[in-house]
Amino acid sequence: MPRLVVSARRIAASVVHGLHGRRRSGTGENFWQFRRFNSGEPGSRIDWRRSARGDNLFVREHEWEAAHTVWLWIDTSSSMAYRSSLAEDSKAERAVIIGLALADLLVRGGERVGILGLGAPTASRRAIEVLAQRLASAPAGSGLPMAHALAPLEEGVLIGDFLAPEDEIAETVRTLSNRGARGHLLSISDPVEETFPFSGRTEFLDPEGAQRITLGRPQDLRAGYAARLQAHREAVDAAAAASLWSSGRHRTDNPATGALLALHAQLGAPVEGARL
Amino acid sequence: MSALPFAFLSPWLLAGLIVLPALYFLLRMVPPRPRSVHFPPLRLLLDIRSEESAARTPWWLILLRLGMAALIILALAAPILNPAPPVAPGSGPVALLVETGWASAPDWPQRVEAIESEIIRAETAGRPVALLDLGGGPSDLSITTPAGAREVLRTLAPRPDTSRPADHLDRITAFVREHAATEIVWFTSGLEARGGRAFAEGLAGIGNDSRVAVRVPARTTRALAGADNTPDALTVRVLRGESAAGESGSVRAFDLRGRPLGDTVFTFPDGDLQTTARFELPLELRNDIARLELADGRSAGGVQMLDERWRRRAVGLISGATADTAQPLLSPVYYLSRALEPFADVRNAAGGSASESVSTFVEDGVSVIAMADVGTLTPDAHDRLLAWVDNGGMLIRFAGSRLAAAEEDDLVPVRLRRGGRVLGGALAWSTPQGLGAFPPGSPFAGLPVAEEIKVNRQVLAEPSPDLAERTWAVLSDGTPLVTHRRQGTGTLVLFHVTADTVWSNLPISGVFVDMLRRTVALSGDAGTADATAEAGETAPATLAPTRTLDGTGAFRAPPPYAKPVPATGLPVADRDHPPGIYGPPDGFVAVNALEADAALARLDLDGLGVEVRSYVAAEPEPLAPWLMTAAFLALLADTILVLLLSGRMPRLRRAGATAALLAGAFLFHPVPGHAQEDKEMGAALTTRLAYVVTGDAEIDRISKAGLEGLTFELAARTAFEPGEPVGIDPARDELAFFPVIYWPVSESATTPPAETLARVDAYMKRGGSIIFDTRDAPFASTAGAANGALRRILAGLDVPELQQITPEHVLTKSFYLMSGFPGRFNEGPLWVEAQPTAEEQESGEADLVSSGDGVSPILITSNDLAGAWAADDQGRPLLPTVPSDPRQRELAYRAGINIVMYALTGNYKADQVHLPALLERLGQ
Repeated sequence: MPRLVVSARRIAASVVHGLHGRRRSGTGENFWQFRRFNSGEPGSRIDWRRSARGDNLFVREHEWEAAHTVWLWIDTSSSMAYRSSLAEDSKAERAVIIGLALADLLVRGGERVGILGLGAPTASRRAIEVLAQRLASAPAGSGLPMAHALAPLEEGVLIGDFLAPEDEIAETVRTLSNRGARGHLLSISDPVEETFPFSGRTEFLDPEGAQRITLGRPQDLRAGYAARLQAHREAVDAAAAASLWSSGRHRTDNPATGALLALHAQLGAPVEGARL
Repeated sequence: MSALPFAFLSPWLLAGLIVLPALYFLLRMVPPRPRSVHFPPLRLLLDIRSEESAARTPWWLILLRLGMAALIILALAAPILNPAPPVAPGSGPVALLVETGWASAPDWPQRVEAIESEIIRAETAGRPVALLDLGGGPSDLSITTPAGAREVLRTLAPRPDTSRPADHLDRITAFVREHAATEIVWFTSGLEARGGRAFAEGLAGIGNDSRVAVRVPARTTRALAGADNTPDALTVRVLRGESAAGESGSVRAFDLRGRPLGDTVFTFPDGDLQTTARFELPLELRNDIARLELADGRSAGGVQMLDERWRRRAVGLISGATADTAQPLLSPVYYLSRALEPFADVRNAAGGSASESVSTFVEDGVSVIAMADVGTLTPDAHDRLLAWVDNGGMLIRFAGSRLAAAEEDDLVPVRLRRGGRVLGGALAWSTPQGLGAFPPGSPFAGLPVAEEIKVNRQVLAEPSPDLAERTWAVLSDGTPLVTHRRQGTGTLVLFHVTADTVWSNLPISGVFVDMLRRTVALSGDAGTADATAEAGETAPATLAPTRTLDGTGAFRAPPPYAKPVPATGLPVADRDHPPGIYGPPDGFVAVNALEADAALARLDLDGLGVEVRSYVAAEPEPLAPWLMTAAFLALLADTILVLLLSGRMPRLRRAGATAALLAGAFLFHPVPGHAQEDKEMGAALTTRLAYVVTGDAEIDRISKAGLEGLTFELAARTAFEPGEPVGIDPARDELAFFPVIYWPVSESATTPPAETLARVDAYMKRGGSIIFDTRDAPFASTAGAANGALRRILAGLDVPELQQITPEHVLTKSFYLMSGFPGRFNEGPLWVEAQPTAEEQESGEADLVSSGDGVSPILITSNDLAGAWAADDQGRPLLPTVPSDPRQRELAYRAGINIVMYALTGNYKADQVHLPALLERLGQ
């Protein structure tokens, strides 16, 4: 875990900090815009300095900076512990790195970050350490989060391999977004899981279950497997889109920074059709 | 003996072969285990493919594994090829009859092994053993314990003479009559010599329940006999006992000091029992040959020694003219010596009168005396000369004015007319006569008749009935030109012309040389002893043995039983006169193991009812290691196949390419021939030190650094500036360029093959010196040369007698005055070739043993000289001396300089000792 913490901090520091604020007027410190005073508003809102320069009354609006809770969920099931010889980290390690780095970025941006099912969210500057400790002490979970609806203004970030059956994934996402919470799915995969480079007589074991299969010529199945994987991914994307969630992919042989940037941008960007 | 030369030590283990069918089914059911991997998206995989049916093991894999199991079972059953024959039934004693003649020498170790295994068999069966040396004197066959028999066996060695088994037959018969059921094993050399067949028949007919087995070698010994120094070549007959297929070998020739002079190849045609090896060498070299030996299969019979009888003749020249010295190039002696030199040892009269010269030559024992125009001799000299001719000397006389004028000369073959005959002179009608055809019975028959020879004057023989048969050459008109007469056992020859060109131009023609060559070749064996004995001096009638051969054909000090031989020599060696050299070095007589017309025959044992076995086939060889190796290889193949089947060798193709590349690299490895040439050129152009590359990197590094250090010191302190030292491989490199070779020998060093040792031996014989350094002085025993590797190497070399260095030795004063020769260690002595003692020097025997300009061909130390000399680039020593003492390192350098100077200057330094005496003598 210490290695992951260091690595998460390094990656978080490499992401340009500056995407914070809600890009909407609201309670906050920073100036957002002047607007004409509407009758019926409290007079104390009038910005007299601005209004004195003209004939109209203006109200100074501040950018809305309400603290926002982002719920992280990191898949710690045993299938995530897989690492092939082509990858640098196991999937779980990569998920933790991305998750903690994201948490650090968000906390620095003023958000509150928590881990689903592991205590209250925190806004501490030491969010990485706090969350890492919670993760380290948590028992191994299953392939999907415990589904309960998030509050409307909360956001969920699910990081995992999403190899569970498609309908279970769809059900989980639907439940989480039941009250209008937005979210993002980041599926992490090992390169071997995509390219399926096996040949010769091979016995495949499921790390989570007792299932196994022995194939005489697995190279013959390569095309079929690729098609099946593609279908699964499209189903996951569809499940996310149905709840207006976004989804992304990351392969463990790519640097973690790219996935982190994409994720962070997704979180900041207003979603088409969002109710906020 | 079973039908097959094959047996199992634990045959019950073969029952394990029953499980093979069961193994077959088991293997068939269990396919090779697949590679097992974790794969998280297994569910996706399951969606497209259901569980695969269990695979069957391929049939060839089953076959391989079954074969492997069978091999292991067979190996555990301990099969043995050529099993030792089972212990013979019977309780009587085992009588081992061992031939120890020279014919047993080449394969003596195999014989000893065979005899030992026979003793072990008897020991196992609890039977008593009797061992008899058939080569020894008659002795009783008596029963001993196996240990006693081994003791006797250890004392046996091949003898230089031929075993006479028949001499022992009576005693063996008596023994067998005494002990029933005796098993007789006769270890024969396989040659039918001295009644072998009769002996075998006798053995087979003894009876009394005895059984007879004969051990015969597959290939009998080859031998040399009947060397002959013909005008064209030195020939020697090579004999063999069996008329086998054609084979070839080589014969080597050595001079008296053991230096190789040449070798030649002989080839037995198919089925022939003898062939001839020819040495077509220049006559001077041929006459130096003192010893011929077969290159392989060393035995006393394979050695032929040559003495004076095989040499060119010594010819004494006497001229009647005293004024000849005024114009030496026109004197008859000059023509004669030029004509005789190519094939004869020409000795000129030391001066004084012809009579004195005659006495000198007769005393010297020359074979031929040529007298050019000598008239009368003093009566004393005349008598001597006549007695000498009677005894076998050959007197060749040339006519001349003095001869023609002499009265009553009986030292001529025919009666001569007084005055002679002049042809073609100013007052004669006749013309100069040419040479006529040589008569058929003449030794000159067959020589070309040269047209250009003209005889102007000659002396004429009185006609007599026997003139024609005494005539060897005639003029074209039929008058005798060369006549001869037997006188006693010697011959008188007269050329009816002068030895110079006054009477004819015969002496300047090539025919003259050929005529003299053939004449001299006819000269009898006027041995030294005869001549001197006749001359009334006290000469021994017998010659004592000087060096004799042992059974393997090596020179040894004569055994105590060796008796002197008559001065005329013996045609063949016998038990009391072993083959070897008899008499003083400058007049020795050689006695050979085989007579000149000897022949070898293989022992014929057909139809005798005896068991005949070979020597070597009795070697039992366990086969289990081979079977186990095969099983292991099968296991390897199985592993690779399983890996291939389970797809765990995806890089096989790349590995194959790598292997092919490697093989190609080996195939196309550049041949270092050019480098070799360069190296030899470099070695020849600059004198340099050399060390033998041992293959041990550390030793070689120290050798190189050591010689570099010594080279530096030599250049700094002496006039000798050697080149960069080189490492050499005695098997490949030419050694002749190096004055000294440093050869570090570690305990673990491998012994070079025989050919390499032969090269080293030749190097030592031709004057090179080798420093053997065992580098183990602190650990060696005081005996020196305790190093086993060194002993093995020296066993293959002809090492002279050694001694520890004495304070008088030249090495102690060849540059520095040294009292010891330390290297890194100080304890070890330095061994050099033993110097001849004062008596030997006086007797002249020293010449026989020493060679190489007095430089010892071998120096043995254990002081690690190179270790002390070794220095790095800055001249700092690499290794400490023991004890650590800078003075010792300085002494080590001095020792090295002394050794190099000794090898380079030879006996120069030794002679310098006598310099004051020589100067003093010159001054007077």
